[in-house]
Amino acid sequence: MTRTGAFIEFRSLAKIFSDHRGRRTPVVEPLSLTVAEGEFVVFVGPSGCGKTTVMRLVGGLETPTSGEVLIKGRKVEGPSREKGMVFQSYSSFPWLTVFGNVRFGLKYRRDLPPAEKDRIARRYLDLVGLTAFADFYISRISGGMRQRVAIARTLAADPLVLLMDEPFGALDALTRERLQLQLLQLRNAEGKTVIFVTHDVDEAVFLADRIIVFSARPARVLRDVRVSEVLPRDRTMEVMETAPFRKLRREVLALIRDEETRTEAGTTEANF
Amino acid sequence: MFAFRAAPQADLELWLGIAAFIFVLAVWQLVAGLGLVHPQFLPSPLAVVSAWLALVENAGYLTDVGISIARVWVAFLAAALLAVPLGVLMSGYRAVGAFSEPLIDFIRYLPVPALVPLTLIWLGIGEGSKMALLWIGTFFQLVLLVADDARRVPKEFIETGRTLGAGDLALMKDVLLRAMLPNMVDSLRITLGWCWTYLLVAEIVASSSGIGYELWTARRYGKTPEVFAGILTIGVIGLVSDQAIRLLHRRAFRYLV
Ligand SMILES: Nc1ncnc2c1ncn2[C@@H]1O[C@H](COP(=O)(O)OP(=O)(O)OP(=O)(O)O)[C@@H](O)[C@H]1O
Ligand SMILES: [Mg+2]
Repeated sequence: MTRTGAFIEFRSLAKIFSDHRGRRTPVVEPLSLTVAEGEFVVFVGPSGCGKTTVMRLVGGLETPTSGEVLIKGRKVEGPSREKGMVFQSYSSFPWLTVFGNVRFGLKYRRDLPPAEKDRIARRYLDLVGLTAFADFYISRISGGMRQRVAIARTLAADPLVLLMDEPFGALDALTRERLQLQLLQLRNAEGKTVIFVTHDVDEAVFLADRIIVFSARPARVLRDVRVSEVLPRDRTMEVMETAPFRKLRREVLALIRDEETRTEAGTTEANF
Repeated sequence: MFAFRAAPQADLELWLGIAAFIFVLAVWQLVAGLGLVHPQFLPSPLAVVSAWLALVENAGYLTDVGISIARVWVAFLAAALLAVPLGVLMSGYRAVGAFSEPLIDFIRYLPVPALVPLTLIWLGIGEGSKMALLWIGTFFQLVLLVADDARRVPKEFIETGRTLGAGDLALMKDVLLRAMLPNMVDSLRITLGWCWTYLLVAEIVASSSGIGYELWTARRYGKTPEVFAGILTIGVIGLVSDQAIRLLHRRAFRYLV
């Protein structure tokens, strides 16, 4: 991969939430990090450490308490089409068909004529293998298909960066595997920069060029694991049986486990 | 069908609904037929039906019905036309909500009949005071219901719209309004029912036409069957419009399974 420098840059990004009593909870420590163009970065870390918050900060859905995120040198200020998000659930519109949902990703692109939008929507529908379900309403398709709709819709909007927060979290193991493979193929074809959050260490190692392991809350970078230096970029499920994969997996898992036991010992706060 | 939360069976449910009407009619006929209650208080269903037919044939009753329906719909549409955008804005912009919600809540709790003297003083006995009364009764309830419908739209839908490039206006039109539409149609259906209540109040107190006026006139001359006929008319209109909106709801929102 060619390193073109910082495509996304986190500059001392920090977030503190205040509750109604004015109690302040630091969720993201001043965080500095750069992501290169086309990189597939996976965030892992103990439950509740602030991964979603970091993601939402990049997406412009939260405002940082201090610091900033730059994408292509431009400061993130609020959500926009440049930052495509795929949530864990709930994000497809039930009043639209599968095709309608994917087409919605292009709705606000003024640079394209309607016929071209239809064509692009059909192409992404085809890429995620849902052409046969184009006319189905969202309530009539399975969870895995719904996530594929969300991915196709987000890609159709042609964002600079794809932000995915546990998109496969609610799916069964086989569907999840299929979607992971599909996502890698899509990514390789489109060359998109991806930030992906997961609880599943296998998923992290399988997908990532790079894994960022976060500490317990407040989130701080515990380790920056360069997976692409060890594993090939074109991966199939078989890579999971190889020694380098297992080694990486063990390493990341150990980091998270240690971090979780360390904080469990040091805090009396209820954790759920 | 008789099990808890069993699968729906449209035909059977329709017949059960009809059976309820037949049951009430049968009990009514029985009580009236056996002479348990003086006809001055409870005329038989047949007497009511013939009174109704006589009304329709002779007294221009249908004109009164038409006038009442027109009043309700004009006032209701005028209320909805303002309540829907305001409700959406109240949920979308915190300042609008903070400014208008307490005031609207206050007005909403004023019983509509309490406003009758005021509307009469201000607007006289013509159509204006009736429209004002219906509008006030409907608008302030509806706007809060609409605002709540809008607030219940999942945050994820809004955020998805934003990340796909929708601006404020597009977000309200293409996402918020679409997402809340099924619930909003229900809110409209419910407030339409309330609007009928206020109509009756207005027509009884200050009117020389309409179903409420006819009802009140019949009472004054002790014509109990005509009173019943009036009540029945209102019930039938309510039932028909409610069922029509429900049907529309099912047709328009098939995607809700
Ligand atoms: N809007 C908010 N207001 C207050 N606190 C919040 C808010 N959002 C998140 N938090 C807190 O910030 C912390 C981190 O939350 P976040 O959802 O970012 O963690 P996460 O790493 O994504 O967790 P998980 O692994 O469970 O998905 C949590 O303790 C949470 O309670
Ligand atoms: Mg999370």
